[in-house]
Amino acid sequence: MASDRIVERRRVFQQYKEDVKERGKPFYPYAMFHDTLMSLVVVATIVGLSIVWRYTTPGNHHAAAATGWLGPLYDSPADPGTINFVPRPDWYFYFLFYLLRIFKWPQSVILGTIGLPTVFLVMLLAVPFVDIRAERRLLRRPVALVAAALVIVSMGVLTYKGATAKEALGSEIKGHVPAWAKAQGFTGNKLAIAGANLFAVSGCLNCHTYLSDGGHNLGAPELTAEGAKNKGIAFQIAHLKCPACVNPGSPMPSFAGLGEQRLNEIAHFLEASKGRKQ
Amino acid sequence: MATRRLTRSEQLQQTIMYPIDWLEERSGLIGGVRYFLFRKVPGDINWFQTLGSATLTAFIVQALTGTILAMYYKPSATIDPHTGNPIAYDSIKHITNDIWAGWLVRGMHRWGASVFIILMFMHMGRVFLFGAYKYPRELNWIIGVLLLAMGLGEGFTGYLLPWDQTSYWATVVGININGTAPFLGPFLAQFLQGGTYINTNTLSRFYAIHMLLIPGAIFALIGLHLYLVVRLGVTSPPWSKEAAGTGPLNGKADGRATRSGLSRFGRGAR
Repeated sequence: MASDRIVERRRVFQQYKEDVKERGKPFYPYAMFHDTLMSLVVVATIVGLSIVWRYTTPGNHHAAAATGWLGPLYDSPADPGTINFVPRPDWYFYFLFYLLRIFKWPQSVILGTIGLPTVFLVMLLAVPFVDIRAERRLLRRPVALVAAALVIVSMGVLTYKGATAKEALGSEIKGHVPAWAKAQGFTGNKLAIAGANLFAVSGCLNCHTYLSDGGHNLGAPELTAEGAKNKGIAFQIAHLKCPACVNPGSPMPSFAGLGEQRLNEIAHFLEASKGRKQ
Repeated sequence: MATRRLTRSEQLQQTIMYPIDWLEERSGLIGGVRYFLFRKVPGDINWFQTLGSATLTAFIVQALTGTILAMYYKPSATIDPHTGNPIAYDSIKHITNDIWAGWLVRGMHRWGASVFIILMFMHMGRVFLFGAYKYPRELNWIIGVLLLAMGLGEGFTGYLLPWDQTSYWATVVGININGTAPFLGPFLAQFLQGGTYINTNTLSRFYAIHMLLIPGAIFALIGLHLYLVVRLGVTSPPWSKEAAGTGPLNGKADGRATRSGLSRFGRGAR
């Protein structure tokens, strides 16, 4: 036996069909006119964005670095060897990207990477089964209204935060290496100095922080006192080659592409970083 | 018996109608199109309800520009000895700088992606705020959520294709994030990469997923989505006084009067 609620909603839908038949209007030309107009606006917007993108790119379009109002036409070619990168997704993933900063690395980072997005997706799929009331007027659906407002505000804030997250420029940071060496007391350690220079230009500081440097984009650990943990050169090299092998769940990319010698230098630099000398 | 000779206009009409009738007799397609075009929709529908078809338009733009790009794009990370750049990167440069209107096609694909994703979210917001996911349209909401996930998947896989520093390193982190998922994660990461690290196999995999697998699924789901829209009808805006589902508006009676005749369940399922 169908419950009262089911009988009632079937009746109302039947009524809906009769009402539409009686006093509705044909899709063509009425609704189709609006749809077509809106579609033209969409296509015009897309073409307009392309034109702005191309024609605000200054000077020589062939230069990879030239940036117009909407960003460069393309970046320099992918190079797995020189790891001077900004791990930045397209803007509509900024909210996910920024979520990573909220969780502590690496124990709970999985909550930000997999946990919350999965929960969000399941919640979206569940919406019509949780909200089974027939009421459609917004002011009489306070829970739905608050939930929608919260989602819109938090996605907006996360996207904005992701968009304005600071990035570290390798060439600028390289100038800080002498100051690092002084603060950490490894001025005489040639291997550590070489490692520090590599560390500065290899994009490590887009995720990590070191002394007063670092973009801290993805919430990766602070490395100023990494050496104080005395994990050893061998551990550091193994970790750089395959972070997730040593540290399960770590989303840090492999730096094996740098080669044995350079990894050794970075490892010496990390081990020499015992924390700021007062 | 002498059949009357047809006049010129009758002849013309027959010539035009013949293939249409032929098609209709064998497929019923003409009737289907006619049903689609002349089906009734509530008289009070609103501009917000054009967001769905606008999203479809953005997807069609992506499909068309993507097809043209596929004619010139080369999914290979191998270094071209003449330029010293990866072949994929050079083909993107070639499309942008050398091919006639190539910049426009690529620009439309690149920015169309953003517009498509914004419109998907706006359309979803509209459906949510109108309560249009309620009985009997629950299934169409689910299909819509799947379409949203697929659209984001297109964004993720398409981002790698120019094979520049930004796209490469964003994808490294993206794949590593997939790899952290419990159980399936490592397999998924390995599958996406086509190996243990990102290489030219990753690029062709992403290309195949981006232009065959996901778009195929999107086309199929859009077909279902539209079928359900036509089958179940479009909702009136919830605030409308003459919303379909409230019963006849008998003459001068205002909406309030008719609504009071409804049960305690309110104005639902329209």
